[in-house]
Amino acid sequence: MRRVAVTGLGIVSPIGSDPKSVIETLLEGRPAIREFSTNGPTPHSNAAAPVSFDPAKHFPPEQRLENLDRVSQFAIAASAAAVRDSGIEFTTENRSRAGVSFGTGIGSANGFEETFAQVLLRDPNRVKPLTVLKVMSNAPAGHIAIQHHLGGPNLTYSCACSSSAVSIGEAYRQIRHGYADVMIAGGAEAPLTYTFFKAWEAMHILAPLDRANPSATCRPFAKNRSGLVLGEGAAVVVLEEWDSAVRRGARIYAELAGYGSSNDHTHITKPSVDGQSHAMSLALDDAALTPDDIDYINAHGTATQLNDATETAAIKKIFGRRAYDIPVSSTKSMHGHLLGGAGAVEFVISLLALHCDVVPPTANLEERDPECDLDYVVGQGRKDQHLRSVMSNSFAFGGTNAVLIARRE
Amino acid sequence: MPTTSERIANILTSKYHVPADRIAPDATLESLGLDSLDLIELLFEVEDEFHIRVPQEGGPAVKASTLQDIVNTVDTLVEQEARASELPS
Repeated sequence: MRRVAVTGLGIVSPIGSDPKSVIETLLEGRPAIREFSTNGPTPHSNAAAPVSFDPAKHFPPEQRLENLDRVSQFAIAASAAAVRDSGIEFTTENRSRAGVSFGTGIGSANGFEETFAQVLLRDPNRVKPLTVLKVMSNAPAGHIAIQHHLGGPNLTYSCACSSSAVSIGEAYRQIRHGYADVMIAGGAEAPLTYTFFKAWEAMHILAPLDRANPSATCRPFAKNRSGLVLGEGAAVVVLEEWDSAVRRGARIYAELAGYGSSNDHTHITKPSVDGQSHAMSLALDDAALTPDDIDYINAHGTATQLNDATETAAIKKIFGRRAYDIPVSSTKSMHGHLLGGAGAVEFVISLLALHCDVVPPTANLEERDPECDLDYVVGQGRKDQHLRSVMSNSFAFGGTNAVLIARRE
Repeated sequence: MPTTSERIANILTSKYHVPADRIAPDATLESLGLDSLDLIELLFEVEDEFHIRVPQEGGPAVKASTLQDIVNTVDTLVEQEARASELPS
């Protein structure tokens, strides 16, 4: 069976847009969550983790940015960074076996909002001519392939909050099973629009803004956790067939060693211990590892009442006594919930943890929920760890669970 | 008041980054590097600029047009529009 190397990382996130600043921010336990206002017919603000992003730094002046949704802009920027980081050169020899696997939950939230406002409120006969190409879900993946001239598989996965863990896992399978040699894999989301805030608020699942301390709004595993906080951004990894990565002298961050995919099949939102633990177990089997081999878990940790208790129980079901010895953190406490981009951002964070031998903390965890009794790495991160393998959990509305395991090379 | 061709040239240089020295009455849009999607967008922008509507069937014909053809089409449509607005309602 072919092995899969991670040779490049790219990230555009609320906690930074290069690996160094991301890891520094994380270790300090410094959330990028703040009060955020959106434009709409009524005044609106809530907690969110926006990205500070200047398109002019990522695109040439002749690029018509109005045709690229923010989600595609993030995707293209993160992919370019990952490809640069990997040092890979695409040539006529390798590009036909190099592809893209991308995840997004909503996709073009901004593009849809603008279009609906135009058609329903202003002039239905003056829709921008390239609207379809801007809002289609696979726009990010298509643009990434064009940018790097990649003729291999080009796939887009949309399974809500596990979209980009799935896209990375499925990309790994493309290489493992011989359909491709290189895959640019990741995900993006740009959901911070008036419409989507209203839709999420209507579900009573967003944490109300903590007015005294907005950066403490997202409190995973805490007794007083009150819901999730939306974030935006993208993260991308370059995956390569192991032997060819070694042959070209690539810097290998880690081996993507295992992927587990399952469904809760019980309820459209309610998470299930069985579904989540099944995905963790499948990923361990796929990597030929046991619970004793995992030294860090990046939790899905949304800070909703149900997720955090369910995920804790699922980890305990698979890891048994060992669960209490493994640091488990929810970095969503700092970068917010990137929905379809979350899995990729958190996998990149897990890779950086492995690569730098550090463990990021869970921020804002003061009083813990008795049901959540693992080592969540309260406050600050830990340095000088000896991590062998790390697990990144992603779960979703619709029940799609995806778990990725990276092993030190 | 800039002429029709100056206004179209302005769109081409500012939004499509066409070098000003390549803009000539007999240049086709294709020869200026505009692909089929650019042409669709250009039509939309020309409609906004001149407050006209290019008929749906007029779209594809524009692709092979020279700049002078487009200027003529725009002038005709602007004139029709002006005449239509003068008619008693």
